[in-house]
Amino acid sequence: MTAWAMVRHRFASFAGTFVAIALGVAVVAGSVTLYLSSRPQPPERYRASPVMVQAPSVGINDYGEPEIRSWTPDELAEVSGRLEQDPRITAAIPDPFFYVQRQGTADHGMARLAGHSWSSAALGGYQLATGHAPAKKGEVVVGASQGEVSVGAPADEAGATAGLVPGGTIEVLTAVGPETWTVTGTTDGPGFYVSDDDALARASGVRVIGLTVTGDQEQVADGAQARIGGAGTVRAGPERAALEPVEVTRIRWIGAQLLIAMVTLGAFATVFVVASTCALTAAQRRRELGLLRTAGATPGQVRRMMYAETALIAVFAGLVGAPVGSALAPLLARPMTDLDLEPPGFEATWQPAAAGGAILLGLIVALAGVAVAARRASRVPPLAALREAAAETRSMTPARWVFGLLSAAGGAALLAAMPAMATQSKTTAGMGAAMLLITAAALLAPVVIGPLVRLVTAPWRGSATGMVVREGTLTGVRRVASTAAPVLVTVGMTVLLVGMVATINEAAGVDEAADIPAATVLAPDGTPGLSEAAVRGQAGSSRLDTRVLVTHGAATTGEYAAGIAGSAVTLTPEAAGEVGASVGSAITLRFADGAQTSLPVRRIDAGAAAPVVLPRDLVRKHDPDALTSMVVLTGEPRPAAGARVMTARGYAEEQVAEEGDLVDLFLRVLIGLTAGYTAIAVSNTLLMATAARRQEFRALRLAGAGLGQVLRVTTAEAVLAAVVGALLGGAVGVFSLAGVRAAVEDELGRKVALMIPWDAGLGVTALCALLAVGATAVPVLRRPGLAR
Amino acid sequence: MEIRAVTKRYGQADNTVTALDAVDARFDPGTFTAVMGPSGSGKSTLLHCAAGLDRVTSGEVLIDGVPVKDLSERALTRLRRSRVGFVFQAFNLIPALTAAQNVVLPLRLAGRRPRPGEVAAMLAEVGLAERAGHRPTELSGGQQQRVAIARALVTRPAVIFADEPTGALDARSGLEILRLLRAAVDRHGQTIVMVTHDPVAAAHADRVLFLADGRVVDDVAGPVGAEKIAVHTARLEESAR
Repeated sequence: MTAWAMVRHRFASFAGTFVAIALGVAVVAGSVTLYLSSRPQPPERYRASPVMVQAPSVGINDYGEPEIRSWTPDELAEVSGRLEQDPRITAAIPDPFFYVQRQGTADHGMARLAGHSWSSAALGGYQLATGHAPAKKGEVVVGASQGEVSVGAPADEAGATAGLVPGGTIEVLTAVGPETWTVTGTTDGPGFYVSDDDALARASGVRVIGLTVTGDQEQVADGAQARIGGAGTVRAGPERAALEPVEVTRIRWIGAQLLIAMVTLGAFATVFVVASTCALTAAQRRRELGLLRTAGATPGQVRRMMYAETALIAVFAGLVGAPVGSALAPLLARPMTDLDLEPPGFEATWQPAAAGGAILLGLIVALAGVAVAARRASRVPPLAALREAAAETRSMTPARWVFGLLSAAGGAALLAAMPAMATQSKTTAGMGAAMLLITAAALLAPVVIGPLVRLVTAPWRGSATGMVVREGTLTGVRRVASTAAPVLVTVGMTVLLVGMVATINEAAGVDEAADIPAATVLAPDGTPGLSEAAVRGQAGSSRLDTRVLVTHGAATTGEYAAGIAGSAVTLTPEAAGEVGASVGSAITLRFADGAQTSLPVRRIDAGAAAPVVLPRDLVRKHDPDALTSMVVLTGEPRPAAGARVMTARGYAEEQVAEEGDLVDLFLRVLIGLTAGYTAIAVSNTLLMATAARRQEFRALRLAGAGLGQVLRVTTAEAVLAAVVGALLGGAVGVFSLAGVRAAVEDELGRKVALMIPWDAGLGVTALCALLAVGATAVPVLRRPGLAR
Repeated sequence: MEIRAVTKRYGQADNTVTALDAVDARFDPGTFTAVMGPSGSGKSTLLHCAAGLDRVTSGEVLIDGVPVKDLSERALTRLRRSRVGFVFQAFNLIPALTAAQNVVLPLRLAGRRPRPGEVAAMLAEVGLAERAGHRPTELSGGQQQRVAIARALVTRPAVIFADEPTGALDARSGLEILRLLRAAVDRHGQTIVMVTHDPVAAAHADRVLFLADGRVVDDVAGPVGAEKIAVHTARLEESAR
């Protein structure tokens, strides 16, 4: 009863907590919804094939995905034959795919999946719309969309099939080069469909067989697995998500990195802001809680009442925040596909787990945040209610010391351990360290606030405003710590994120410039790579990219390999170490087409172009769909379709810029998310803190201060809180940044300049100060008749 | 109700203030005692210590015969809740709760359900039957103090401590409050200890304790007239100078 009455009556003063939780839950619900929606899905192309067979997995790759080898043509025939013996299986259809794009279009990452065999159209239930099936090489059935057209541009999609009628021709680019195909028909499926033999010859091996079945899927699946044994893995129903092409999965992976970072940062900001807001609310109610104690409430009852209030608020806030977050997530889906962070067709779907989880998180965090405050509050002696002046007795508690120092030690240890970590975990570790240090700074803030305030206010010691501000902050150190906390996160995270990227870019920029020869290169132009025809006849060196599976003992490791004309079998020392090879020893390689050979290693070279370097002809023979990433020209370039000539430096800069654009995008999203949320928290906590001090300002006015003077005091206090937060946040940010730099230096083995993002740091500080001043002025101006 | 040789010091080490200096006092059931004395004489501290709101430095406090020294905060709260009622100068009602909810609060906190009509009867006794649904901000000072008295009486405590209950009120409202307290003593045999500096208020008591510098300097059995008390007080303040 009491908790409900309190919440209902004092909803205004709980509004701050409500806003903090609702926003946090919305952020978490939204980003988790996007993340869960971006889990692999069974490909749309396989919708009419409930049971499918995947080639055997031979290991795990660097992305944590299974490494799937191809079936050899013999194995493929054998497996298909065995499957078709089952009367419930009406057809076993191999699904080869290959690179094809219509000339004059730009690839958005899907062209390498656009070519199919005509028989595989049945796996998606696609029918001929017009014409007839392709019968021989050079004939094609074109789909309604061809995969490579830019997503989000329906006009292009309509135009993609324009003019393509049976009997006409189409100019395409494939791994072979420019080709002219005869259109024999059109279909409602996506992509290009050529005859089965043609598709098998063009594809880099076959790793999927689709089944059309009658009867119960589960039974058919079990039967199929029993028939083929270890020669493949049967995937039925939703398990077919595992068959998503690696190109699609890779795009998802990039998006997932951003989403995971969003979820992590969002959750951290939520925990931080909600906990500090709950603590502030509790601190403000000291007198009220003392009253309850004089009325006969035991400490336990006070504590339980605070839990009950917070739970009420948290559930309400969650019920508001979660739907908002879930509703906003789909709005981000389109931009994410447009920016190639998610594959075409990505949609944010309703994820009950995300909404429910976010509500639960909000509830738990709020209860945890209030737990410490409740413990403290329940020990408020009844007498506290009788003493009018609610000046704090102690600003640092033992718990604050212990947790503050522990977080600081944890953060410092993480930074110190960074050089020894794997490269991929370094940014995560940097962010984790920053989060710990920010927590530490917030907990230990009261220690430094006193001296800092004395220092900053020293010039105004003589004025009345200076005195009131100074004493007001010094007697309310905890309050200042609470209001400075969101500023601290905002500034700390901004400085770290922007500075980290700037420092790494600086290091990378130096790195790239160092190895670029003064040459011209032939680079892909709107294509995923250069075709054989574009490379042939060019004077220069090129590499043909493929992937090989190296078997060593019982284990298999996937390695990126390059085919270089005239090169001997060469490994980098890392690759040699991984597969246990040395010069003269033989390595067992399995190529993209499934064929296995054993080759002696001729050289081990740290400067090799790829972990495994092979003769170009060998790669081409086993990977018909392989493309060349670029040619370093030594003579006059010969013009070719889907290729352009540029300087090596220009090419490198473009690569860096492309990566830079992606990183910038990540930065903008993450900072926008964190800073946006914490900036709202800045105004929120200051609004709360100032509203609770109306009495104090009234006394100030009664003592003869004009409204302008009161505003000057509140403004000065707000700015002071912002400055304290910014200084602490900046210090934490720079400290973490120094740790990141040390790790980068260690990795590169040379000095790297520390890039401190002054403009970004000062920018968010100014924004926070502005919000803080506004938020304190509102409650004062809302009751201008203070002196009545 | 009894306190024995109670000493209370504030501050630490070299900077201590002795608020109570080995004070003995007994408050018999059904009596109305006024505690008087100049500012800083320790009268409020005496009340806080006797009520178990503040821990004593040395000596012993018995609430309804129970020594409070070794009680935990929780047990002490429970004892206070059931055996002690409070009325303060600043009313100290919970702003979020209505008059009736404020009155019922000690019972609720004790996990007790009020008997039907109990709260209404309590409010009627203080003359606020029709104000049950009003929040403190909607009541006058005198009315708020009457709610506070109803709240103190509702648990039928062994003793009610009143700290300057008329201090924030005008003379007429103050008189009403004093009559209510007097009635509680006369009609229900309620024990009341009231700290005040107002001789008129003290004149309603059966007995007046005079405190100065943390010691009981006089103990006058009443009824005592207001003028006599005023003279007494003036003399004490004179000698304190």
